[in-house]
Amino acid sequence: MSQAPGGEAGFPAMTATAAGSQIRRRRRSLGASAFRAFSPYLLLAPAALIVIAVLGYPLYFLTRLSFEQFGLAELITRKGTWVGLDNYSRIFHDHQFWTVLLRTVIFTAVTVGLTMVFGTLIALLLVKLGRFMRLLLTSGLVLVWATPVLVAVNIFRWMVDYEFGVLNWTLTKLHLGDFLNKDWFADPKTGFVVISACVIWGAIPFVAITIYAGLSQVPAELVEAAEIDGARRWQVFKDITFPLLLPIFVILTSLSIIWDFQVFNQVWLMRGSEPEEDYWIMSVYSFVEAFKLGEYGFGAAIAVVMVCTLFLATFVYLRQMVRMGEAR
Amino acid sequence: MKRRSIGALALAAALLVSAVAVSAGSSSPDRQHATKVVIWLQNDAENGWKDMVTATNSAFTAKHSGVDVDVQYQGWGDHLTKFDAALAGGTAPDVVELGNTETTRYMAAKLLQDLTTQTKSFPNSKTWLGALKSSCTYKGRLFCVPYYAGARAVIYRKDQYKAAGVKSTPKSLAQFVAAGQKLMKKYGKQRNYSALYFPGQYWYAGLSFVYDYGGKIAEFKNGKWKGTLDSPQAIQGLNQVKKVAKALSRANKTTDEANPQQALVFSKGRVGAFIGNGWEWPYALDKKVGNPSLAKKIGAYPMPSHIAGKFMPTFLGGSDVAVPVTSKNKALAYDWIRIFTSNAQMRTLATVGKQIPNTTTLASLNAKNPQLAAFANASKYSWFVPTAPNWVKVENARVLKNLFQAIITGRKSVNQAAKDASNQITKILNQPVS
Repeated sequence: MSQAPGGEAGFPAMTATAAGSQIRRRRRSLGASAFRAFSPYLLLAPAALIVIAVLGYPLYFLTRLSFEQFGLAELITRKGTWVGLDNYSRIFHDHQFWTVLLRTVIFTAVTVGLTMVFGTLIALLLVKLGRFMRLLLTSGLVLVWATPVLVAVNIFRWMVDYEFGVLNWTLTKLHLGDFLNKDWFADPKTGFVVISACVIWGAIPFVAITIYAGLSQVPAELVEAAEIDGARRWQVFKDITFPLLLPIFVILTSLSIIWDFQVFNQVWLMRGSEPEEDYWIMSVYSFVEAFKLGEYGFGAAIAVVMVCTLFLATFVYLRQMVRMGEAR
Repeated sequence: MKRRSIGALALAAALLVSAVAVSAGSSSPDRQHATKVVIWLQNDAENGWKDMVTATNSAFTAKHSGVDVDVQYQGWGDHLTKFDAALAGGTAPDVVELGNTETTRYMAAKLLQDLTTQTKSFPNSKTWLGALKSSCTYKGRLFCVPYYAGARAVIYRKDQYKAAGVKSTPKSLAQFVAAGQKLMKKYGKQRNYSALYFPGQYWYAGLSFVYDYGGKIAEFKNGKWKGTLDSPQAIQGLNQVKKVAKALSRANKTTDEANPQQALVFSKGRVGAFIGNGWEWPYALDKKVGNPSLAKKIGAYPMPSHIAGKFMPTFLGGSDVAVPVTSKNKALAYDWIRIFTSNAQMRTLATVGKQIPNTTTLASLNAKNPQLAAFANASKYSWFVPTAPNWVKVENARVLKNLFQAIITGRKSVNQAAKDASNQITKILNQPVS
């Protein structure tokens, strides 16, 4: 789903204008300086209003819904019954919730980890490649990035199709075992291998291209100096490249966590819009409860819990990011 | 220079305004006639008896000139999710088809228009099939109109049975398995060949085994529901499903009978038999997606019971049509339903669609037709899901699909899977109705 970088593009621009206004601050008339102090907010206002309208209201509505009993009948009357924390206590007493949470955390850890590893490796490869091959690989990455999730999922589904899967055929031809009529989704472990592969495949381009952009900023003389001092490639990466690119890695990791923690489409579509319980991750769990079982209030509560969990998980990263920004 | 550009701008603006005005003017007379009746039917109608829908629409538009009919076909997998969302968004259709297992919850939530006072205005209302009528009745009031019923039977390849040395259609489950094993011996070397195509989530067919051995899904006692799929009889039935699927089927164990459509898999030739609805027979022969050359090679017989000479109970599936309370064209919606369920259309449904029409007065149509006899016979022994308001939640939570998938893939032991499903059913059916 969410592969497009959300708001991070705004940060550099904002700090730049802030710095600019500081430099240009001169003593002038009182009215002008008041206007100057006020003008950034004035300029931000339209965007802020849109954000509040587009994000704020649904968030408010979701939170309100999570405190209500809201079922099928309430869809028509459009009035839920306030039940306080009932939905939340139901969640925490539901053993399924804990299973789903654990599954989601593991899924996120694996997909983010592998995305970062493969993304970094591809970025390092891009640096070493000649111009033509680099162009080829970059266009490949961009194509992957441009592939809609729906299309990607269907391609992966076909590749592992029970009767006609080309992956099954290839593995069998390579004498790795009898994979014809292998049902990858019969066991959730192999099922999640396919789903994770699809998620990672779609996430790599952004990570690889961003890290590559960072790598091209690493001063060549630093690397050269280290190599003259006898550093091996791994040591160069560990002691020079990685520390220099740490902010990029932190940002990419936290963004990936946010994306992978709320993966929905890949699981939903891969299992034909009816995922078995073994495939429920947080987003699917919330959707099934709300929209399949008509428990909109309970589903909303799960979504709120999911947002809070995500916030806690990324808080550490965000804090570190802000600190690094201050240190510079 | 400046003045000229302002003049040009004004001219452009004037042109734009007049263009808008013209288009608005031309579209307004259309709007007066734009009454549109939106109908949601399941895609069984699209695949099996589209003639009936076309004929209904032309009869309807002939009567109500200027009213558009927009029939939108839905799939069983997600049509309720869509319907709920449409209800909330105020865009629900004027007529909706609901499966006879799905109606109770909507009746209980008062989302369907109460039709009690005008029951008699619908054709054949006195002779509606009892099973369908009861799926439309909640607390003594009528909320929908019976549409059709469907029974499943074994649809098989006569030529393959003959070539494998099966002389007559099986009369008991043991004979059925023996016949299947002969087919597997003869054709089993082909990859993906199934003597009986039985996808892992096919709960309608799977539960017939449970009912055949005397088990059932749930029972209502002392004001509470209790899941009973873990009873010894039910477990016996489930064990048989596992045995039959393992011996005779190479179908995908994690899909259901509609994805891919089993009739189409059958039409590709590597299937000896499948348990299907009446409409799936002609669907297998469809010119576009099926294989018309099989026309003379297909037959059907009721699935035999484990007791020789008896039939296995079949799921009495069916559909009803209802008018959501949100409809703004209720009178038109009722009239569309009246035409749709008239004798003329029900005849088409029986002869083209090979389904059981909604009225007992047309039952003889089926008995006379050799293609329908097997299904009509099968429908004499049937089972139905518990009529609990929350039942549809059991379906939406995929409890039964999960049960059979777990058993057939071997993810869980039969006992464990049955116990899990049973507990889940107890829990869901006893939840407060919402």
